[in-house]
Amino acid sequence: MNKRGIAIIGVSEVPTRRMPERTRWDILLDVCIGAVRDAGIDKDDINAVISPNPMAQPQIALEMALGRIPEVLGLNGCRDICVTNAGGTSTTNCIRIAEQLIDSGQADFVLIPHTTVQSDIPVQDLINFFATAPLDKEWEYPWGVSFNGSMGLITQRYMYETGSTAEDMAAVTVGLRAWAALDPNSIFYEKPVTLEDVLNSRMISTPLHARECNLLADGGGALVLTSHDIAGELGGKAAYKLGHGTRFMSATPVLRKDVFHRRAYRETSSDALEQAGLSIEDMDLRQVYGAYPYTQCSALEAYGVCAIGEGAKLWAEGRCAPGGDLPCTTMGDATGRGHVGSGVSMAFYIDTARQLFGEAGERQVPDCAHAVLTTSGGSVMNACTTVFGKEPQ
Amino acid sequence: MSERERPLPEIQSFSRPFWDGTRAHKLLIQHCCDCDALIFYPRRECPECWSANLDWKESSGKATLYSYSITYEGVEEKFADDLPIILAWVDLPEGIRMTTNIIDCGPGDVYIGMELEVAFRPLTDEVTLPFFRPVKS
Repeated sequence: MNKRGIAIIGVSEVPTRRMPERTRWDILLDVCIGAVRDAGIDKDDINAVISPNPMAQPQIALEMALGRIPEVLGLNGCRDICVTNAGGTSTTNCIRIAEQLIDSGQADFVLIPHTTVQSDIPVQDLINFFATAPLDKEWEYPWGVSFNGSMGLITQRYMYETGSTAEDMAAVTVGLRAWAALDPNSIFYEKPVTLEDVLNSRMISTPLHARECNLLADGGGALVLTSHDIAGELGGKAAYKLGHGTRFMSATPVLRKDVFHRRAYRETSSDALEQAGLSIEDMDLRQVYGAYPYTQCSALEAYGVCAIGEGAKLWAEGRCAPGGDLPCTTMGDATGRGHVGSGVSMAFYIDTARQLFGEAGERQVPDCAHAVLTTSGGSVMNACTTVFGKEPQ
Repeated sequence: MSERERPLPEIQSFSRPFWDGTRAHKLLIQHCCDCDALIFYPRRECPECWSANLDWKESSGKATLYSYSITYEGVEEKFADDLPIILAWVDLPEGIRMTTNIIDCGPGDVYIGMELEVAFRPLTDEVTLPFFRPVKS
């Protein structure tokens, strides 16, 4: 009986940019070839290609769903193909499907590729899609609700309940952009911002300034996964999945009793840490994909890193940013990286793997042995928390 | 506001009474006759017990502001004439939280906890949207 469990053994990504001349297939081919080579395996070792659905790009989504990737790349060992769509948690679903295939002995190696190009979509179409995609067309949309508006409503209430100031909240973006400025794959590479830059940027939907909202961009990445056993036999770099927890909250933000997702963050991180046999204090790195700054605060509170209401203060004190004692979200979240649709979570998994591989460059967290990562989809409809380690437990 | 240009709600057969209500200047909340749950937004079946035995209760029309966000940009062009829009989540005393806009209120005068009352504005002859405005003291 094989010991169950999976590990990321190869990663690849293209820089996040607005670059319409780089096609969706350019990105796909680069990241698939890159990740397989990074894993040190042969293309025919790949037994399944499981992909996050590219949002608002029906043509490429259909090509991926109908098996074009293994055909174009000549993946002769490919037995299975699937595209999943759970918004920002699509990559998480891909990893769970890969885990099932690997644990059940149906696959030794699974390739998870993502591609997105948004810069060739007319701006007004993008606004229309991202302003309306997660919204109820009867009970929200007629009042002018947008993604930014929904998250503005939650942020306003968060500040009211916690006493966090506009400066505290802006410090989150400053911290995220400081990480992103060190990452050649970020659209904001070498472009840090100051508190004044954030607070002086134009107001989109109070209390969210332009710099606290997401810039839509193009990008992509890929992971290669295998079993704990094979990863050990190969003897190369590996990021072992040690525990996982997930909760669904609600599709529509206004119906969410768990307004700041603290209960979902707490329960999923507890599940993941318990399975890993670890505690939050054992984590060298905390990664939160929430796409809006308040999530970087409420997640830390719910993980038990700080008291309820103190999350923004940690960022304001610089403890979560480069050089701080509690490094958080070292790829900069969508705010710092550029929002590549369903691919932001891919960038999070790649960054987490790189930190555990010791390949995170200037962003490297010293002696990074354990990391906790939460992804969310839709308008934070869910929380999916995973604990990864440098070694199998 | 330029009501006529705003998008209309996608009304469903089982939510039709709500919109008939707003047209008659009544804010109706769906109610389950079997488990007594108050339901928002309206469903075909009660989300608590799956009963289809549902009726409607008239709300007091009062509300308290739970949160707000003043939107200056980033919405569809159909809303452009109405910017800035004060998005709001309001708590009805019946235990319902709903999305709406605050009207008859300057962006600088809105605050969490403010007392509100429903205000009905027609978008078309068929569709009237419920908004909320400050209660005048």
